[in-house]
Amino acid sequence: MNKQEFLSLLRQELSGLPEEDIEERVAFYEEMIDDRMEEGVTEVEAVRAVGPVREIVSQIVSETPITKLVKERIRPKRQLQAWEIVLLVLGFPLWFPLLIAAFAVLLSVYIVIWSVILSLWAADVSLAASSIGCVVAAVVVLCRGEAASGLLMIGAAAVLAGLSIFLFFGCREATRGAAVLTKKIALGIKSMFLRKEEAK
Amino acid sequence: MDIQLKRGLLDVCVLAAIKNEDSYGYKIIKDMKPYIELSESTLYTILKRLEQQEMLTVKSAEHDGRLRKYYHITGTGLKRIRDFREEWKEIMAIYQFVTKEDEHHE
Repeated sequence: MNKQEFLSLLRQELSGLPEEDIEERVAFYEEMIDDRMEEGVTEVEAVRAVGPVREIVSQIVSETPITKLVKERIRPKRQLQAWEIVLLVLGFPLWFPLLIAAFAVLLSVYIVIWSVILSLWAADVSLAASSIGCVVAAVVVLCRGEAASGLLMIGAAAVLAGLSIFLFFGCREATRGAAVLTKKIALGIKSMFLRKEEAK
Repeated sequence: MDIQLKRGLLDVCVLAAIKNEDSYGYKIIKDMKPYIELSESTLYTILKRLEQQEMLTVKSAEHDGRLRKYYHITGTGLKRIRDFREEWKEIMAIYQFVTKEDEHHE
């Protein structure tokens, strides 16, 4: 591959980037090739030394923030035709609710995950609270001289306290798991955009 | 090597390559080659980042009938090198501590 072929292939592969970024990149690689040729290396060898276009492009894509890729992708490359604008406006009742629905689904997944966690903690807190309640009741009953029911209540308090401590560790683990899960979901959505861009 | 650490090290390497005199892309790669292998794409990213951080300035100059970009280090860039040398003393102390622990166990 000679220099011109290399540069035009690079330009073509980078077409998803803003125009000025492409020009700067291409000029940079051109200078690299020229400097090598100046040292006496042949054109083909100089191009080979700079590396395959595919490798260069995949490195550039991985380094470009997703927002830039998406923005450049959404931005129309040319002036929108009148009928396209009309279609966008007329289609608004269709695509806008779809967009909202997608966000709502995502939001509800998060809410479902975290409400399970919240209810677990609520159960734990109520166990601990009823344990304390039992102790108070036991003291009152014992003061009245009803030893048997007092003893029963102390036993119940101990059982409840034990359960709440046991559940505490379960809650902690579940919270950690949910945090990992939500993070994974967010990452998955991001890489979905990136993969689409790379496949192009 | 840890990506963040390597990135920071390469930034300083490139600054060191232009410390004494202005340099251009291919010369930077050649000067660094005996110490560390650097691809063109990686160098581009580093130069771009250093320019954004105002650690170097870029100017195009004519060379042999074509334009070549020359990179010039700024005061901020020189300070980055000085800071690196200070930081590295701390890292060396940590390294000595870590390897000493190794000897103790083996």
